[in-house]
Amino acid sequence: MSLRLEILLVFLGMCFVTFGSRLAGLMLRAPLPPFWLRFLRFVPISVFAALIVPAIPGDQGQGIMRVLASLLAAFVAWKTRVLWLTVLVGFGTFWVLKLLGVHA
Amino acid sequence: MFPIYLGVIPFAVAYAVTARAAGLSVLETCLMSVLVFAGASQFSAAGAFASGAGGLTIVFTTFLLNVRHLLYGLSLGREIKLSNPQRVVSAYFLTDEAYGIVMASNERSFAFLLGCEMSLFVSWNVFTLVGALAGSIIADPAKLGVDFIFPLSFTALIVPLLKSRNDVIVAGISGVLAIVFSKMLPGGFSIFATGVIGSLLGAWLTRFEPAPAPNFEDNTREVA
Repeated sequence: MSLRLEILLVFLGMCFVTFGSRLAGLMLRAPLPPFWLRFLRFVPISVFAALIVPAIPGDQGQGIMRVLASLLAAFVAWKTRVLWLTVLVGFGTFWVLKLLGVHA
Repeated sequence: MFPIYLGVIPFAVAYAVTARAAGLSVLETCLMSVLVFAGASQFSAAGAFASGAGGLTIVFTTFLLNVRHLLYGLSLGREIKLSNPQRVVSAYFLTDEAYGIVMASNERSFAFLLGCEMSLFVSWNVFTLVGALAGSIIADPAKLGVDFIFPLSFTALIVPLLKSRNDVIVAGISGVLAIVFSKMLPGGFSIFATGVIGSLLGAWLTRFEPAPAPNFEDNTREVA
């Protein structure tokens, strides 16, 4: 059980910007300009893509296996929209390829 | 409403396992869930801690990920009559799911809003603790490939959001930009830079379309 000061400061910063965004919307009376409403709609799409793509290959030299598993997971997400099933199929595929001794 | 909890549970557990693998203590892992209470940004912060990103870039990325809550607040503020203290309390616990549940129901009261929010807050935090303790048992998370859960979870989040050709274009270009930037810019900052450019591109691509209303369909992704 430990709590480092520098980590706590990062959490407080995250808390501030998150709570601030949530509160600003509830407190604002004037509507945002349409361009910025559209900007906000694209934020999760753009940021999620930026989080996903560089994280797929990993640093253990299993890039191709993980790309294949991710593609199958994306298909499951598209068909079912169920988070746990997507993760399970992706992770399962990765492990099956690994146990089969595929090195790619 | 029930499937929303089914989405929260594995996401909370996966976040906690990732945070533990990134070197956060059980207490730190749980504290982030209490203080931030925003699944996607907690998950990405855990990944950023693992890659040694600086605190400021983590905060900026969190801001970019959560600024969409502004939309929910704008919409809820018009739907439900709230006093100022009620606005402050409901803002702290506001999530995609709570917004989705309220909009999908016919109830328009502070009590119902807070009830939805708190039930999600409690399950998110309980299963963060469960995941954090489970993460302590796993001996060598890197060898198991636990870091792969991170892109897989976000794949499940992004796919339901891709509803038009412009959505797919923005996602594709953002993915490429993120790879290029990650070789030039420090850790989390490449995510932030990509998010700003990608969202500007999306807003520009859709400049002839009517302004979007906060869309309940976005909440089918069932996470906090």
